[in-house]
Amino acid sequence: MKTTYKYLFLLLLSFSIVGCSDLEEEPVGLLAPDGFFQSTSDIQTAVDGSLTHAINEKFWGRKLSIALMLRSDMVSLASNETRRVEMNDFTTLASNGMISEFWPKTYQGIAAANQAIAGAADVDVDDELKNPVTAQAYFARAFYYFHLVRLFGEVPYIDEPVTDIDAATSMSKSSVSEIYANIIADLEYAKTWLPNTQTSRATPSKAAASSYLALVHLTMGNYQEAFTEATEVINNAGTYDLALDDNYQNLFNADVIDASKEPIFALDYNNFEAADNAYDQTAPMTGIRGDDRNLGGGWSVAVPTLEVYTTWDAGDYRRAVSLDDRASIGGTVVDYTEFDISGHQFAKNNPYIAKYMRYPGLFARANARATSHNYSMMRYAEVLLIAAEAAVEIGDNASALTYINQVRERARKGGATKTGADEEYVFEASSVPADLTGTVTVDDVLEERRLELAFEGKRWYDIVRRQIGSEVFGASGLEGLKASFDSNDYLLPLPEDELERNPNLLPQNPGY
Amino acid sequence: MNLKIKLVFIAMLLLSLTNYAQDSVTIKGTVTSQTDGEPILGANIIIKGTTNGTSTDFDGNYEIKVTSGAVLQFSYLGFVTKTVTYTDQKTINVELVEDTGVLEEIVVVGYGSAKKSDITGSVSSVKSEELTAFPVLDASQALQGRAAGVVVQSNNGGEPGAPVSIKIRGNTSINASSSPLIVVDGFVGATMPQANDIQSMEILKDASATAIYGSRGSNGVVLVTTKKGKSGRLSIEVNSTYAVQNISNRLDLLGADEFADYQNQIRANNGVTAAYSQGTADTDWQDLIYRSGNTQNHQVSFSGGTDKINFYASGNYFKQDGIIINSGFERATFLSNIDAQMTDKLKLGMNLFGSRGIKNGSATQSNGSVSAGGDDVITLALRYAPDQPVYNEDGSYNFGNTVGDPVDNPYAVAKERIDETKTDNFRANFYGNYDILENLTFKTTFGFSTENSTRGIYLPALLTQTAGGDSGRAEVETDRETTLLNENYLTYKKEIGKGNLTLLAGFSYQKTVSENFYAEATGFISDSFSYYGLGSATNILQPDSSISEVEIQSQFGRLNYDWDDKYLLTATVRRDGASNFAANEKYAIFPSAAFGWKISNEKFLEESESISNLKLRLSYGVTGNPSIGAYESLARFETLYASSNGESVSAITPEQPENPNLKWESSYQTNLGIDLGLYNNRVTVSLDYYNIDTKDLILTDNSITEYLGYTADDILANVGQINNRGFEFSVSTRNISTDNFSWNTDFNIAFNKNEVVSLVNDADLYFDAAPSYFSNDRSYVLRVGEEVGLFYGYDYAGVYQGGTLPDGTATLAGGVAGDPLFRDLDGSGDITTDDRGVIGNPNPDYTFGLTNSFTYKDFDLSIFLQGSQGGEIFNMTNVQLTNGDANTTVDYYNNAWTSTNTDTDAPRVGNNSNREISSRFVEDGSYVRLKNIAIGYNLPGETLEKIGIDRVRFSISAQNLLTFTNYSGLDPEVNYVGRGGDNNTSANTAQGFDFGSYPTVKSVSFSLNVKF
Repeated sequence: MKTTYKYLFLLLLSFSIVGCSDLEEEPVGLLAPDGFFQSTSDIQTAVDGSLTHAINEKFWGRKLSIALMLRSDMVSLASNETRRVEMNDFTTLASNGMISEFWPKTYQGIAAANQAIAGAADVDVDDELKNPVTAQAYFARAFYYFHLVRLFGEVPYIDEPVTDIDAATSMSKSSVSEIYANIIADLEYAKTWLPNTQTSRATPSKAAASSYLALVHLTMGNYQEAFTEATEVINNAGTYDLALDDNYQNLFNADVIDASKEPIFALDYNNFEAADNAYDQTAPMTGIRGDDRNLGGGWSVAVPTLEVYTTWDAGDYRRAVSLDDRASIGGTVVDYTEFDISGHQFAKNNPYIAKYMRYPGLFARANARATSHNYSMMRYAEVLLIAAEAAVEIGDNASALTYINQVRERARKGGATKTGADEEYVFEASSVPADLTGTVTVDDVLEERRLELAFEGKRWYDIVRRQIGSEVFGASGLEGLKASFDSNDYLLPLPEDELERNPNLLPQNPGY
Repeated sequence: MNLKIKLVFIAMLLLSLTNYAQDSVTIKGTVTSQTDGEPILGANIIIKGTTNGTSTDFDGNYEIKVTSGAVLQFSYLGFVTKTVTYTDQKTINVELVEDTGVLEEIVVVGYGSAKKSDITGSVSSVKSEELTAFPVLDASQALQGRAAGVVVQSNNGGEPGAPVSIKIRGNTSINASSSPLIVVDGFVGATMPQANDIQSMEILKDASATAIYGSRGSNGVVLVTTKKGKSGRLSIEVNSTYAVQNISNRLDLLGADEFADYQNQIRANNGVTAAYSQGTADTDWQDLIYRSGNTQNHQVSFSGGTDKINFYASGNYFKQDGIIINSGFERATFLSNIDAQMTDKLKLGMNLFGSRGIKNGSATQSNGSVSAGGDDVITLALRYAPDQPVYNEDGSYNFGNTVGDPVDNPYAVAKERIDETKTDNFRANFYGNYDILENLTFKTTFGFSTENSTRGIYLPALLTQTAGGDSGRAEVETDRETTLLNENYLTYKKEIGKGNLTLLAGFSYQKTVSENFYAEATGFISDSFSYYGLGSATNILQPDSSISEVEIQSQFGRLNYDWDDKYLLTATVRRDGASNFAANEKYAIFPSAAFGWKISNEKFLEESESISNLKLRLSYGVTGNPSIGAYESLARFETLYASSNGESVSAITPEQPENPNLKWESSYQTNLGIDLGLYNNRVTVSLDYYNIDTKDLILTDNSITEYLGYTADDILANVGQINNRGFEFSVSTRNISTDNFSWNTDFNIAFNKNEVVSLVNDADLYFDAAPSYFSNDRSYVLRVGEEVGLFYGYDYAGVYQGGTLPDGTATLAGGVAGDPLFRDLDGSGDITTDDRGVIGNPNPDYTFGLTNSFTYKDFDLSIFLQGSQGGEIFNMTNVQLTNGDANTTVDYYNNAWTSTNTDTDAPRVGNNSNREISSRFVEDGSYVRLKNIAIGYNLPGETLEKIGIDRVRFSISAQNLLTFTNYSGLDPEVNYVGRGGDNNTSANTAQGFDFGSYPTVKSVSFSLNVKF
């Protein structure tokens, strides 16, 4: 019996070894919101998350940047993809496949910013230490809502992490003025707390907040405030370490942009093809098919009409930087009239957008995907033009002349650049564009913005805020008559599946 | 009670029983097996009409006290019970006869075993001979066609080392796995052992059989029992197989001249005046990437035992050179089982299993994600222009494809791309079995298993498209999964009146930890690093690592009662608590009940000459599919790789809200079965009807608005329901059975019908299987009231002959004569995406298997046919082959519409339909396949005895020798995982797609089996 005891004991022991688990999950390597925010660096982590959404393919990596290009009069379409045709031709449906991508992505940026702001409340650190970090989140939130309100008008406005899902999925839209008031409040907070400069232009600074305030006021028609904000940036250019870059080409050279003083707020692309499409695919969309550069050439989708090139003074260095009128295709160097030797279905015999394909940086992959461009969302030249436009509106012609001519002067300097066939040369200093004299008009500034900021996602918003669609999309426009355009097109439709999920978002924007 | 008191109590209980003695005589005896004369260990001896009994020891000896006239009943599992009346003998030696009748087969069930005749659930058994009829890498492959309602398919045709998927009774889920639970020697969720090491495989199909596995039972359970040693017999067995393999079919494509003509016709049709400039070569790309493959399988096993210890040990080596160049698989496996009778009451044992496999992969089944989908050698061989040479004059690979998107040279991809997966498996399972009381047994098991795999991929710089233009691209991924399992259960058997009661109660704890590491880099100085020099790369991509842990703790119980060998009752229940279940739904209970009636044991049939067995079975129960991944119900942040201040940093963003009410998926299954045996069971028939309602299916809850800003694509909710119902029929006949000749036939057939019962708001769910570069957005649909995974696209209506459009049809924009016509479903006069609808159904009406086995003296012959009827295939390959930017089939080239060849169903070359998914490419995928034909010869026994050899057997077999099908593609057994990749949703819904899969092979095998 003794051995029996022994074995019996062993067997019973096996029960007790196992014991009982409470079955609670304690994930490692996964983060839960509870108790995450402990220090200012945790706030920074959520801010970085917010801004990372902006570099995603669904936002500035392609979907929003290309949508903004296609809707403008500066870029036409070489593709038959429905979602792009709808964008370019103003036949956009509420089911549009680009909207359905940048709508959620924009709100993901907002959700991360809200998380940072709410999390900051849990961080037991002096305001002087944590508010400059939290202020970046306020800036990011304003940045995203500013896009939303200009794209869609009234949208649901959320400014804290969602706790009651049911309530949040049945909320109503906020009015445009309410959203703008919130954007301004967020930017004012950011301006108050952000440092004058940051080590990277991709981190929001006081200058970035101030410049965006200027643009927001300009968009709202608050010209005095816009002028005040813009001139404040200009007058503090030294403090903010800002200046126009001598060579306009440098702004679109991923290898040297980090050293430039011109960008005020930029999106910083990772130097690799990050997971989840968080890398640049805007560049290849603008490239020439069969182009010998960039391992396989571009995809030839967003292509300006010939008029964009022919109406642009050939003496303007900015045209030489902005457009490729020569390329090497299959080993043959041709000018734009023969770009279709690639034989591709959508190849166009037009000059192509050059800003992103010439100097995509060391890490760009085939077709110039994953460039290292730090796309400028706001640069010093724009602040000068905001100041000039506001000055025109408030009747300060002298200031308007000063600011707009600073931009034109830089363009005249020319600089080292290369053609689309990779032939390096120096564009000699030019007399074009000459300084403006006499009375500057709003149209003068808009025209300057169209050329200076060509293909940078600014033009569509200018068309909307100045309501010049019927003019620029008329028969004499750069793209010829766009018959489907009407004033309802100034706003995009809200995504139809969102309206189905939450009928309280109705009514849909007019015309859809 | 503390432990000590418990022990004392149990000990006293034991003593009281042993002291219970009678005034009587002690007799002795030995129980042996009639077959081999070996003693039988553990045979039961009971004095009829009493509870007195004993069992034999290791030498088959027993002692029992009897009184005059007592009737002794000798029984042992697998042997016919014998009774002997005590008439003053001193010793009673008994020879038991092995019970060979089909109905007395012993069937392994969850946590026990039972006589097949006592089974109330739906259980199919597959025998060892069927599993080893031809060489298979994975024993699961051998199940195909062998058991009704079990569909087995390789995930990638004939690829060496490709995983095999098993589906029992259809798809029971959409987003969760539909694969059954594999239990090997009691180890839940184990790796399948080598086919030669398997004694038997049982497939538990209905809820009555699977509910004991609770939340993991709803896809069915495959119980595998490995071979054990027998005491007293030492034997060595050697199996050796060599097989030669070839592609079973090849597409008939154009040569260089025809191809140039084809391209010129396309240009002419598209108004392009420049002629196609034909290359100088004439390359058959298929010929280059395919070769003759071979498989070797060698196994040595030792088994035997002494009176107290039995063992079985085997080592196996498997090597396959695939039929695509550079693809192959190599594996070494060992398995050992030891059982030791420590005392009369205590038995201990251990199972060990280990293997290492190395897979050399070929790029197949492109999902289109690599630039232009150029990473798949099979479709590349169809896309690359045949007038281009393999090498340029300077000896470098030619990369000058002249048509379509830029793609890499298929031969270069096959030759230069490195893709190795090394997988190590180890499993150890210890058990202890203790007879606490005569009728009460306690069993405990401790098991540990681990699977570690490393996959390395290297794309050398010369593969411009697949390597993405980088100078070399390498990735390494490692996975480690470790499982701990402890199970403890008591089994109690008792005869009550005319009935037998068996009770089982137990507790189980299982913990699985999965770890993953992934790294990728581009830009290498030299290709010679392969994937081993990540650190030397100029561009390190975002690495990743993760861990997840799942614990399951369960209580289970079963009651079996059979009364008078006529009425059978089985009831089971399992309560599972799992860590991956959401906070409010931590515990789940899965009950089942079954009733069986052995009608043939009733008086009115007992005397029947023709009906030797008739049994009715009825069962109902609930089983689950755990469906929820670890941490899936928790509120979570997602980590992002961000750039801040010019530095790479990690960042966070809200990923998903907490979902405390997320539940497992539940299947409610009814099974009605009938087993019939005729003419002394020379004919046995089984028929089962089942109905499975799977509820609470987890689907993406698209009611959560996107403006909440969560990044998770799939915030989940329990919203769907599907139904599977069908019949399974199997019949076995011993047609002829004489001394020299026998002929047996086994046939099984299964009809399954599935139906989507409800979805989120009952709205259609669309999915897309087409590779991404086809730029489609949907290719199949889930629709309420229809079967799962119907093909979705345009309805092809023939070729437009010009002039007035036939009623109800239209062409795509700009259609002219020769272009395809489609049904204008919305009547708008043109063809838009609104004109798409259901165009086909991949679900077969029925699948079947038929085996005829013959033996004549020392020869045997087995012919195994297997087939599937009524399922359709979407021939994605033909979409690629007829859109002009690839080579094409001779058939299309000859039959395409031209102004002089108008009576055809094939549109003109270069027509205006480019890559549309339409019914033009839906084909009947029915087939009947001669899966295996084998001839064997056993050397005559007398000859062998002289030289001391038990058995020498030669056999020659051929697999997939003949296939009868109307399908025009390479092979009707298609399984393209789709652009979504190899995941549960694809496996459940993207069925019947043919694109770039590794082709199924034809092989001829030679085997030798020697047993000493």
